[in-house]
Amino acid sequence: MEPMKEVILMSKLKAITKKREFRTFLFLVIIFVIVGMVNSEFLSINNLQNSLKSSLLYIVLAIGLTFVLLTGNIDISVGGTLGLSAAVSGLILKNGGSIIVAILVAVLIGALIGFINGIGVAKLNISSFIMTLGMLEITRVIQVIYTKGQWVENLPTTFKQISQVKIFGLNLLIIIVAIGVILVQMYLSKSEKGRYFSAIGDNTDGAILLGVPVQRYKIYSFVISGICAAIAGLIFASQIGFISTTAGMGIEMTVIASAVLGGVSLSGGVGTVVGASIGAVIMISINSALVYMKIPAFWNDAISGSLLITIVVADALMARRSNKNIKKERLRARVLKPEEVVTHAHAK
Amino acid sequence: MKVKNTENLVSLENVFKSFNQNKVLKGVSLDLNKYEVISIIGGNGAGKSTLMKILTGVYSVDNGFVKIKGKEMQNHTPSIALEIGIYLVPQEPLLFPNMTVEQNINFGYDKPKHVIREEAKRICSELDWEIDLSRMAASLTIAEQQQLEIIKGLVRQAKILVLDEPTSALTFSETKSLFTVIEKLKKEGVGIFYITHRLDEVFEISTHAVILRDGKVTLKEEIEDVTKDMLIQGLLPDGSDTGYSSTYEKNYVDHTGKPPVLKVENLTGDGFRDINFEVYQGEVVGLAGLVGAGRTEIAEAIYGITSSHSGKVKLGDKDITHMGINETVGNGLSYIPEDRFLHGIFSIGSVKNNLTAQILKNQGFFVNRKEEKIVTKKYVERLRIKLADTEQEIKSLSGGNQQKVVISRILSTNPHLIIMDEPTRGIDAAARSDIYSIITDLKNIGFSILLISSDLEEIELISNRIYGIYRGVCNAHLGPEEINATNVMKAAFGTYERSDSHVKA
Repeated sequence: MEPMKEVILMSKLKAITKKREFRTFLFLVIIFVIVGMVNSEFLSINNLQNSLKSSLLYIVLAIGLTFVLLTGNIDISVGGTLGLSAAVSGLILKNGGSIIVAILVAVLIGALIGFINGIGVAKLNISSFIMTLGMLEITRVIQVIYTKGQWVENLPTTFKQISQVKIFGLNLLIIIVAIGVILVQMYLSKSEKGRYFSAIGDNTDGAILLGVPVQRYKIYSFVISGICAAIAGLIFASQIGFISTTAGMGIEMTVIASAVLGGVSLSGGVGTVVGASIGAVIMISINSALVYMKIPAFWNDAISGSLLITIVVADALMARRSNKNIKKERLRARVLKPEEVVTHAHAK
Repeated sequence: MKVKNTENLVSLENVFKSFNQNKVLKGVSLDLNKYEVISIIGGNGAGKSTLMKILTGVYSVDNGFVKIKGKEMQNHTPSIALEIGIYLVPQEPLLFPNMTVEQNINFGYDKPKHVIREEAKRICSELDWEIDLSRMAASLTIAEQQQLEIIKGLVRQAKILVLDEPTSALTFSETKSLFTVIEKLKKEGVGIFYITHRLDEVFEISTHAVILRDGKVTLKEEIEDVTKDMLIQGLLPDGSDTGYSSTYEKNYVDHTGKPPVLKVENLTGDGFRDINFEVYQGEVVGLAGLVGAGRTEIAEAIYGITSSHSGKVKLGDKDITHMGINETVGNGLSYIPEDRFLHGIFSIGSVKNNLTAQILKNQGFFVNRKEEKIVTKKYVERLRIKLADTEQEIKSLSGGNQQKVVISRILSTNPHLIIMDEPTRGIDAAARSDIYSIITDLKNIGFSILLISSDLEEIELISNRIYGIYRGVCNAHLGPEEINATNVMKAAFGTYERSDSHVKA
């Protein structure tokens, strides 16, 4: 029976290599190898940990965004949500509030913003791009008003230390986020309700017919994205130690690119949070790779932008081709075949 | 011997449903019992799909009752429908392309996965269908997708199965195997609604035939008491044979000796096969058929939007078979797609600007105002467009006059042949008769028109000759003497007996 086992193992391996996430991971490895060849310091444990640490908040954002993208929508308000919730909870902490309260308030803010986004998109049929773009601007302004245009500085050290705690030599937050990614992935791919999200983006009419409460789950996806953005805000505050009025500015582009790079489709239905997380690590790695290769940092945006466009265009082209083929096949099947004409005559 | 177990599964009573102003169902009553296969036949827009969506809880009724297994349904939803065993196999399979076959089967079904898998495998082997459960749904052929939909329904132990034109994408042998399945299910006591356009199938598998027309049931009989002619008659509108057809004169034109304006020879492409027809100068030729019969595909192939596989298209003496749109237009072909009639205006532009929009590119860099005025005046007079001033905003005109402007714009390019696709869909009755007169006028001026319409009344009304398109094949030709409501209906449903004037299959 040994060869049997081997066959199964081989076919499993093959199935894994076919996954989009695997390709993303390969891409990540390639980046490390290439940059490592140029500058071997890039491969040091220290740098790897740092890369992972700085990608944490992007991973958290990407998890939330994946929910929204799976349903076929987009959320560009995450940067604003991040900034606002970080600023509000930062002020609470600065004024002596407890960490628990600060975290709860941040999560509530994120959930509320996500809920408003969700209502706008699911109930009022506003395009998610427009709705969340508007929300991005609104949250930015609220943040400025709330902080009176000041940076929130001098956060208590106990809070700042959270991001530095280590267990078995590993950063605690990294462990928590990694476990979180795995749990969320299990929920999305294994549980009945978790699969609703990708089903909505895959085929909305089909989902309705099979009894999926489509509107409700669209709202959920935005709420989850909002909460993730708020948690990312907390990580940001803890890691950086202060919150400027422009905290999280432009972060949405990086997160969207991360998710797409990780195999999440912008048209919905396809993607995993694992992939999106690897995508986030790639985006940050590219950033630090440039530093190690002594390339000016502003190239970063250009590279992420071209990656994003390349992937989206390739996806769109493939989708268009398969759609065209399906239509052709459908048309051909309709035509009355010569052999049917005979039975036709018989029927009379 | 028939099993007469009259256990009632579905009872629809006096169901009304409208969308905005559009009344789709006007009091439909229908019963389905165990061991019954009810074929529902109806033209496009008769309300079949709406009725089935009410049954499956996607739409709610405005008025009337839906009783399922004797229980009146209030707050009917798709998930309740699934729970009590109603399953709809839609015409276009509603699968999740990015999930595997197995995930598609157990999606939204509350049962352990291995149980479902065993059940699915059992059903597959019973039906003699081979589907790999681990394949992605996107990689399935249309027939396999349809099979998957049916398996999905059977796994859920559906007691009431709705099949919405299931054979429209199936090949001949796949259809046969589907019919065996239906036969088997019927014996097991499943009640089936079978929606179709294909009359042969009705006699092959159903126990009852129901005709839905204009949101009402016009015929409901056991299949033994039905003939094809009865079905055709049931599909015809009331008193259609008397109609107002005389309003649009159809003076007989003798074409012998004259060359055709358009000649299509053995044209084959995606969605149609071996199409032959001719259009002569000064006549309206109708392509009659149901939605999806392949008429639009034929028109698009002639116009150059898609390419055909074999065959020839000649415009006058010129072979235009392999030309792209720009060339066919240059050679005097013009195509007015369906939405052009509805949305073909620049609504805040002036009548003049709208009318001359298409010939502008033939001039230099600057707009030639004098030329614009001359052209506008010519067509306003020729088509009797009612307006106060050519600088008037086009949206201030009546619907019919707006259409005339759109048509003038087409005429300004001096086409030899105009192809019109569904010219009156979504247009109210008054504007409709306006368009009919315009088409008749154009014909009398000497234009040739190829008219595509699924409104069979309309095609009967204004065409000089009619070709019937049924499932991508041109199976009937109606000369001026043969055009009447019954024959047009027969041609569209593929049951017209070939007459001598028909060239070849």
